[in-house]
Amino acid sequence: MSAVPGLKEDCEELLGAFQQADTVRFERFAELWRERRFHTIFYGRMRALERNKITKKTLDVAQQYFFPPYSFQIRVGALYLLYGLYNAQLCQPKQKIRIALKHWPEIQKFQLDLLDAQHYDAVYIFRRLRLARAFHFTAMPKLLTYRTKKKIEKNYFKEEFKDPSNRVNSLITNDVLEELMNIHDHYQKMKCVISADKSQPDKALSLIKDDFVVNLKDITLEHQEWQQNRMKLLQNAKVAPETEDKKKEETLLKSEGSERANALARIKYKSYSAVVEVSRSRRHRQVQLESSESGPSCGKSPGRSKKASRTPQPARRSEMQVAEETVTRHIGMPVIIEEDSEE
Amino acid sequence: MAAVVPDYELAELYTRAFRVGTLGPGWQRLLGPPDLSLAAEAEKEEEEDAAVAAALGCAPGTAAELRAVCSIDMLMSCEKEEDPDVIPEDSSLLTLRIRKKALERREETIIVDRACRQETLTYEMESHATGKRPDNPTDLIEEGELLLTLNVFYPVIFQKHKDHKPYQTVLVLGSQKLTELRDSISCVSDLQIGGEFSSQPDQAPEHISKDLYKSAFFYFEGIFYNDKRYPECRDLSRTIIEWSESHDRGYENLQSVKMEDYSFNDLSLKIGFPYLYCHQGNCEHIIIITDIRLIHHDDCLDRNLYPLLVKKHWLCTRKCFVCKMYTARWVTNRDSLAPEDPCFFCDVCFRMLHYDAEGNKLGEFLAYPYVDPGIFN
Repeated sequence: MSAVPGLKEDCEELLGAFQQADTVRFERFAELWRERRFHTIFYGRMRALERNKITKKTLDVAQQYFFPPYSFQIRVGALYLLYGLYNAQLCQPKQKIRIALKHWPEIQKFQLDLLDAQHYDAVYIFRRLRLARAFHFTAMPKLLTYRTKKKIEKNYFKEEFKDPSNRVNSLITNDVLEELMNIHDHYQKMKCVISADKSQPDKALSLIKDDFVVNLKDITLEHQEWQQNRMKLLQNAKVAPETEDKKKEETLLKSEGSERANALARIKYKSYSAVVEVSRSRRHRQVQLESSESGPSCGKSPGRSKKASRTPQPARRSEMQVAEETVTRHIGMPVIIEEDSEE
Repeated sequence: MAAVVPDYELAELYTRAFRVGTLGPGWQRLLGPPDLSLAAEAEKEEEEDAAVAAALGCAPGTAAELRAVCSIDMLMSCEKEEDPDVIPEDSSLLTLRIRKKALERREETIIVDRACRQETLTYEMESHATGKRPDNPTDLIEEGELLLTLNVFYPVIFQKHKDHKPYQTVLVLGSQKLTELRDSISCVSDLQIGGEFSSQPDQAPEHISKDLYKSAFFYFEGIFYNDKRYPECRDLSRTIIEWSESHDRGYENLQSVKMEDYSFNDLSLKIGFPYLYCHQGNCEHIIIITDIRLIHHDDCLDRNLYPLLVKKHWLCTRKCFVCKMYTARWVTNRDSLAPEDPCFFCDVCFRMLHYDAEGNKLGEFLAYPYVDPGIFN
């Protein structure tokens, strides 16, 4: 199914603002919604068939943010968003929200978390949706039509909405550490028992670092802190694009990335930025330099215009965009700043 | 029986096989009566604060507060009547800005903006049965019934359909037998009349292929479900089973059973995976189950209307070569009087051209009755 143009951006903008507000209160969400007059998202003259299709797609897009791996706050925002969209739709009878059987346990857990944290407004709203019978209880989230030809879009998760990936923490949990500690002690005791001197193990038996469990714990904590710092930096970079701090933060982020990738990118840029100026007779076919790194922002910089390739004006503007784009998508990857090409 | 939760076997494409009937109980044990109820939509009745407080485990005062704060009015426009057809001028929503441009472009290019008949047909088919309830209460669908959506592809292969084959979409209930689906699939090959009738055009026989060749089978997950309701029905799948057993071809036990003994709830299926329906011996349709879900109070709740056709591809009918007005009913081969081979004629033009006033055959030709695939439009 082709997407509704602009919808993803609008939803992400609203959810992003909700995330910035750093709250899960429905009141706040309602304010943001009213600011944007989001209920008008279904407006526009269209006949019933098209309206049904667009509404279905809209609910489908919003529904994706309701499940992991998105962070708790985004998921609450998605719940509110679904509530708003379901009630603001103009179809009669209303289009429903699809829920697959495999997602229900996650939803139940989410509900319990909300109740525990006493976020009664979120629980109430989910309850209202259920009582309104706004859901279709399905086997799978999407209709499966065996469309192999269509390029199946890889699920693009907005990085900032995700919880920072907790793989390290989920592997080295407190239980694991405790267990390791116990085993380690036991091991030391065993070594003592079989040694000549009962108070300490033989030198020949010392095969591992004695304090490795403590080291492991420290490393894990360090990693966690580092991750949190990075998320904070990322958020700040997004919020204040025009401040001077940005450069500082960018350099910090840059240093996170690999040196080699940096060097490679620079070499590549240098080689492609050399554009030969053709002779007068063929000046109308001057090759225009197109930056390949900045994906979507490419649309903003002048494409195949007849200007010479050295104009520095687009560089300034797209530098900001490239920086922002790259910051959004590739955390830790080098930021490529377009220099004025030296011809 | 452990509840099976359907999940992808091949990501985003099709699921693992699972017994359809388990989905109903699988959902039912997780949900409550209000979720499953098929009662008609009641008027907006506000829940009692006490009920809310009990369910949420909060104070009744909080419940009242929730009712006020979380009301849908908080999200809707409280201004004067808005016209949803009009996109606001300075909208901050990208969706609306893009939509507005598209609409303006349409207004410039299209002279009359009105639904064409294909669109009307599509919309009608999609929505005509929505919410229908039967007069007879025994025909009312029960709570917890499963609704399957199937795409049945046409066997017709036109050049222009190479990329995406046209199909019909049928809704079927979990408790319905396979034979009900088989009877509901309307295929043009069922209406064919075999035989050459150039010498006796008035005597085209009454029998259509549907009556002559009654055998059919469905193939799902290694089992052939053969239609054995009539004595003339043969086991078409036997050839295939014998072929697969003759050498080690890598297929596990293929079985053959009776179609009329099984309902959809009894089947093990993969969602999104292509299966086969074969009738007339060699007319094959691909079938894909695209969705299975619980029945909802807004669906059509009249059991007699199922299997329900909700979408079909509009096939243009072939018109008579002479008058270009009427649908072709005859096709001729090796026709000395016709400009091309094969050539299509409507009944009137066919007779006028090929037979004289007395009904004698003029010229050399072979004539066959023709049924156009677009006949079901």
